[in-house]
Amino acid sequence: MGPMPLLSVKNLSLTIESQKILHGIDLDVEPGEVVGLIGPNGSGKTTFFNVISGFLKPTSGSVFFREENISTMPPSLRARIGIGRVFQNFGIFRDMTLFDNVLVAFESLPKEQRTALGDLKKKVNETLKLVDLDHCAKKKASSLSGGQMRLLELARTFAARKELLLLDEPTAGVSPKMTSQISDLIRLLKKEGRTILIIEHDLPFIRRICDRVIVLDLGEKVLEGKPEEIHSHAKLKEIYFGADPVT
Amino acid sequence: MQLLVNTLIAGSFAAIMATGLALVYGVLRVFNLALGQFALVGGYVTWWLVQPLGLPLPVGILGGIVCGALVSWLSFEIAVRPFYKRHPLLPLVSTIALSQILDGLIQLIFKEQTRSILIRAKEMVHLGSAVISMEQIKLIIFTVVLLSATAWILHSTSIGRRIRATVAHSQAAESLGISSALLHRLVFIISGTLAAIAGIYVGIDQNLTPVLGFTITIKAYAALIAGGKGNIWGAVIASYFIAAIEQLAVGIKWFGYYLPAGYQGSVALMLIIVLLLIKPTGLFGRTSRFA
Repeated sequence: MGPMPLLSVKNLSLTIESQKILHGIDLDVEPGEVVGLIGPNGSGKTTFFNVISGFLKPTSGSVFFREENISTMPPSLRARIGIGRVFQNFGIFRDMTLFDNVLVAFESLPKEQRTALGDLKKKVNETLKLVDLDHCAKKKASSLSGGQMRLLELARTFAARKELLLLDEPTAGVSPKMTSQISDLIRLLKKEGRTILIIEHDLPFIRRICDRVIVLDLGEKVLEGKPEEIHSHAKLKEIYFGADPVT
Repeated sequence: MQLLVNTLIAGSFAAIMATGLALVYGVLRVFNLALGQFALVGGYVTWWLVQPLGLPLPVGILGGIVCGALVSWLSFEIAVRPFYKRHPLLPLVSTIALSQILDGLIQLIFKEQTRSILIRAKEMVHLGSAVISMEQIKLIIFTVVLLSATAWILHSTSIGRRIRATVAHSQAAESLGISSALLHRLVFIISGTLAAIAGIYVGIDQNLTPVLGFTITIKAYAALIAGGKGNIWGAVIASYFIAAIEQLAVGIKWFGYYLPAGYQGSVALMLIIVLLLIKPTGLFGRTSRFA
């Protein structure tokens, strides 16, 4: 018997206005594992993240975190028990300073975790230093480039000690140099033993970082395996490029 | 000079209302059409405690503020919370219904008479060519203190940072562990409390009438829209800007004639329509919201 999964999704389905968005998805994510979630636009990847983080309620099926059924738990409570999220559309607070962007993340932690961090202001500076943004701590986040915004959001989620991180296209719209920096940061998270579920379109990036890859198409899980197996799978080409069906 | 004084008096009242309104719109993304009635609750309860009951003014003010907060909390639970997550426009309808109910109750309890919290003769002060009462000076100073305190809370406290984070990106804020349910309730009550304070302001400076609610609400909305929806400081500046336009409209001669005072409110609202045609995001609006 393997280790207890950190995240367990059982037969998850979501129907909105009689349209099936997700259908019968099963998924176990082990602690410390990095799992890539890929699939064409409209396959339900971000919706799947919205269900795991609590912004959408499943029509049927359940989500377990550390064996606790969290299917009806509100998003803020899921965050407080250890589920962090990085958004596709930059989840930073643009009109707040970089310093306040990180500070508010620490202030929102449960009391015992907040106390364990010690001096919050010192911790904020350390977090900004990690991504080379400490020199502009007092600037508004809106002054950052897309890549820097992404780094800020990642560093903030990273520093808030979330056990499971849901990263939604962290390299989208980011320069190659920044992509490499983001990739280094995710590797650091992996080294620290964090569990990561990551949506990406950049397949070489997924191949470099992930232990396992899940492919979604039209709301269903159609493939699952090691990155190198999935990368060369004919079904993947069919999904993305509409090649002849595999027989 | 008198126009400037009048602008400060009218603008300060509108700024208190608009701050609460901008907070609610910024955080909950809903329109509350019963805000003017919350102001009347604050004003009338203070009048009732100070005049018929003869309690000291500070006690009356405290009573008015507490009642305003209670009414806004009940209103949130009954007319907003069951609806706003289903569709953001539903509270618009439910708060219109609520405003009608509150209007009826205010008329029933306090009768259709004008009421003033202070009925004694006001001490007048001359500032150059302008005249202002001591009460008005105190109200203007109080508004500056209140708005400064609001700015300090929003920018320098943990709860303020959480409110601003929710205004900027509600889902990201929730993903950090900020409970939207608690924050929405708190912001709605703060907004109602600010409205009650504004109602007490009117009751001290002028007279309260039971039909004032809708006019107050519309003025606050004009400031909210002109300032850029959800932008608190934009709404505050717009409150003073609209007050200045209103004073200018009836306070100076236009082509040799004075405009009748009854047109004062309409001129400001016409200006809002023009402004929205030219700059729909408002004077300080952006595509993204900010506090």
